[in-house]
Amino acid sequence: MSTLLLVRKLKKTFGERRLLDVTELNLEAGKIYALTGDNGSGKSTLLKILAGLEPADELRMRFSSADVDAAGYPDALRREIIYVHQHPYLFHSSIAANIEYGLALRGVEKPQRHDLANAAIDWAGLAAVRDVQPKRLSGGERQKVALARAKVLTPRLLLVDEPTANLDRAAREQIVTLLRQTASNNNCVVVACHDREIIDLPGIVHLHLDDGRIR
Amino acid sequence: MELSAAIAEAFRLLFSFDAGLWNIIGVSMKVSLTALLIATPPAVALGFFLATVPFRGRRLCVIVLQSFLSFPTVVVGLVLYVLLARSGPLGELGLLYTPEAMIAGQALIAFPVLAAFTLAAVQGVDRIVRETALSLGASRWRASLTTLFEVRFAVMAGVFNGFGRVISEVGCAMMVGGNIAGLTRSIPTAISLETAKGEFAQGIALGFVLIVLALGINALLNYFQGEGGMK
Repeated sequence: MSTLLLVRKLKKTFGERRLLDVTELNLEAGKIYALTGDNGSGKSTLLKILAGLEPADELRMRFSSADVDAAGYPDALRREIIYVHQHPYLFHSSIAANIEYGLALRGVEKPQRHDLANAAIDWAGLAAVRDVQPKRLSGGERQKVALARAKVLTPRLLLVDEPTANLDRAAREQIVTLLRQTASNNNCVVVACHDREIIDLPGIVHLHLDDGRIR
Repeated sequence: MELSAAIAEAFRLLFSFDAGLWNIIGVSMKVSLTALLIATPPAVALGFFLATVPFRGRRLCVIVLQSFLSFPTVVVGLVLYVLLARSGPLGELGLLYTPEAMIAGQALIAFPVLAAFTLAAVQGVDRIVRETALSLGASRWRASLTTLFEVRFAVMAGVFNGFGRVISEVGCAMMVGGNIAGLTRSIPTAISLETAKGEFAQGIALGFVLIVLALGINALLNYFQGEGGMK
């Protein structure tokens, strides 16, 4: 397996508190990583920094062949690294429009966008709620829309924050299946979670965040 | 005139399309809608800026903005009067007692309402909408536009609220408009004048128009908010 993302230094402090002090993190293509750690240990912050959504105090990392430092996160990288929130925000439009949002930004033509969105809706098992307003969806359905919205953009690195928190067993199993499928195309998935169903998945790589360091 | 007779006369004026009455309604609508059209873009931009850009003194700006929400409209009228009066710094423009002066006054009155609604709405969703848009590949500019689009119903509520405030305000319209028949006589100034003269019919008819407008605006807002953005 080839290295997709290599972090050599990542530091983040909040006031006097050092939240993250990562000296090495190596993520390989085709693998799923479970990022664990206590509440407040900085899992979400780490994922957001990797996705360029949160500034780091110090950062030295290489994604594919691009070097990134704390001075600036290249916009182009956001097209390859996607972060999915624990409670994903769905735009006030239709499910299809949510899934098409990122495609439109990438200049995909409308007919192709529709086809891709429909395929993603079927992939995520959302066909039955296709015409339901996003605000009326359940927590599990919202997660599935968010995953479909990310997956359709074929990110090379998908960072997912607590995707199964507060979901029932059936919904959790569906989410886990979707995550495995996403990683199967030589992409990499990092899941911040407490869920044993994800942590105990066969072949999953464990990353534990403790006192700001990956162990 | 007895109340029942006044009400009957009010409806006769309304539905016989009395030219004087409908001219007053026309002036009100023209002045208020133009004022909103002028005030909305900069007010929404300011609200968005205050909600999203941290800077020294931002808190003070928000406090000042919110204070303007409860500013008496007659004070806005007074300030404008001093500026536009013949001896004032803008006296040469000859705008006092014109619809343009009323538009300026109403735009100033609507501005803080629009900005405050936008500020509150954007503050409520900014971080997660912005992060979602950025993570899906939006540029910072596009993420800002997406955020604004997501709060469109709250901004629309601000516009309707601003409209309600300006179409019914009497202090500023009276001071800088002068209540000139056919030119600057608006619904609230006409109600005030006619009532003072003991002519209740036109006042009741215009009051009825204001109530219908208020109901219509709220119904429209509820409809759009209920739709929740679904086409």
